[in-house]
Amino acid sequence: MTADTASAADVAGLAAPRPSLRRRIERAAPFLPGLTMLTLLFVIPMGIMLIFSFWRTNNDFDLVREWNLSNYARFFNQATYVRTFVKTLVMASAVTAAGLAISLPFTYFLVRYVSRRFQRAVLLAVIVPFWTSYLLRVYAWQAILGEKGALNQFLMATGVIQHPSTLFVYNDLAVFVVLIYVYFPFAALALYAALEKFDFTQLNAAQDLGARPDQAFRHILLPQIRTGIITACIFVFIPILGEFLTPTLVGGASGSLIANLIVNFTRQGQFPEGAALAIVIAVFVTVLLIIFRRSLRVEDVVARG
Amino acid sequence: MPVSPLAQQTRGCLSLVAGATLVFLYLPIVFLVLFSFEQADTPGFPITGLTLHWYEKMLTDSAIHSALFNSVLVAVIVALLATTIGTMAAFPLVRGGIRFAGTARILFTLPIMIPGVLIGLGLLVFITLLGIKLGLHTVIAGHLVFTTPFVVLIVAARLQGFDRRLEWAAADLGASNRETLRHIVLPLIAPAIVAGALMSVTLSIDEFVVTFFTIGPQLTLPLFIITQIKFGVTPEVNALATVILVVTLTVFGVGSFLLGTGRRFRRRESE
Repeated sequence: MTADTASAADVAGLAAPRPSLRRRIERAAPFLPGLTMLTLLFVIPMGIMLIFSFWRTNNDFDLVREWNLSNYARFFNQATYVRTFVKTLVMASAVTAAGLAISLPFTYFLVRYVSRRFQRAVLLAVIVPFWTSYLLRVYAWQAILGEKGALNQFLMATGVIQHPSTLFVYNDLAVFVVLIYVYFPFAALALYAALEKFDFTQLNAAQDLGARPDQAFRHILLPQIRTGIITACIFVFIPILGEFLTPTLVGGASGSLIANLIVNFTRQGQFPEGAALAIVIAVFVTVLLIIFRRSLRVEDVVARG
Repeated sequence: MPVSPLAQQTRGCLSLVAGATLVFLYLPIVFLVLFSFEQADTPGFPITGLTLHWYEKMLTDSAIHSALFNSVLVAVIVALLATTIGTMAAFPLVRGGIRFAGTARILFTLPIMIPGVLIGLGLLVFITLLGIKLGLHTVIAGHLVFTTPFVVLIVAARLQGFDRRLEWAAADLGASNRETLRHIVLPLIAPAIVAGALMSVTLSIDEFVVTFFTIGPQLTLPLFIITQIKFGVTPEVNALATVILVVTLTVFGVGSFLLGTGRRFRRRESE
């Protein structure tokens, strides 16, 4: 969108002779504070965490600098850890699928059938929750699912149940619903950016040429919004791998995800164990980002206001 | 254009889905706000009566005052630093002049994608190793990691659409680099810078996960809310939540208005 506004002179600038060393340092200098900050506060801590994950703590929780793989071995040998990890992956996949299933029809309707001006308003309505407190959005679900929440009130008013039920909150289903809610704006924004560029007359053309609507959808629309779909998936899937607030607030004892284990380890001062789990997540995240790096459009999701 | 019955049906279904989705997005917030006016000691149905009592209580609660002070202090410092560092970094990222520009771009988007648990734990481990005491300064360090990339993205998007002929015109007319930057470039990208700063403020004030790992004995607003939720909720939490929602929405509104005016201006410029 912005790339094609670059003037011809910009291109000419690229072809200019190599600038002098001094000029190059001058141009790169503004980058240094940011680079230093991220190296110091992000890259090095991640590296240290990796090192920590190969160390261990003794019975007094003092750090012992002995290189070994026991933290990882323990993780993969303990059924509860592996189960929680698998559950986290299943949860992340399910939420991603559900998020797409809701946001695709939503954004399709928005782009195709809603007037341009109204589109911006609706889109704003979707972005607003994205910028309001994540913690409060999770907490807000107590007002719906809790014992005194709206759902119980509704079911009692319609006579379905006689007494308020405590079954709606503090389980995996509650975590599932709330996670969809929390991450929907990401998916919607990514898909909107992709659909906005799509020329819908192509669908009519395909159908004129004999395609059924579902064929036109599958073979014309889907391939063209591929990057949007992938961006949406990444923006929902990855954060859930590190999600611990939602399980804490609405998941109860049974709803823990992998990040809850990390927090528990950290609270008990077992940094190496926590670091090992964190590294397992980090490896997952990195691999996903590397595989999909060409299709990921971060600015589509975060840089529109 | 003739519309087939099937297309009409699809459209009808889709509008239902879209409507339901918007309800899904706002219903929890509506009830959250409603319960802040509840008279009884626990938020929820049945509504026994409406009152402003919890708002009054919130205003006199000294724990909230200090949490609010900490949150605002952190957010302001974070916004100032992140905006300065981020704006500076956006220039070479967009205009070239650095080696490994691709790697740099990845480095500046990673903290947005990486879950906060990893950023927080990494910092905590590092800080513990260095023997630095935890406190608001370590929270500021943690918040810088993920707010700066947001500023970089927002400012870079703006710089990408920047018409460089304006700078060359200024140079032709005898302006120095510094003068061009001050009188031409900065005023034109100012809306993006301000928007970036406002986004940093909202992100920092709301941040729970990274704060949780990097804070000392103090509390910020989200941490205060969590402790309240854990030890039995009163509608006071809902009142506080409502106020926070209104404030962040206002800040967000100003930010997006600024970006919007910027966009309109740019469009006119390129015509």
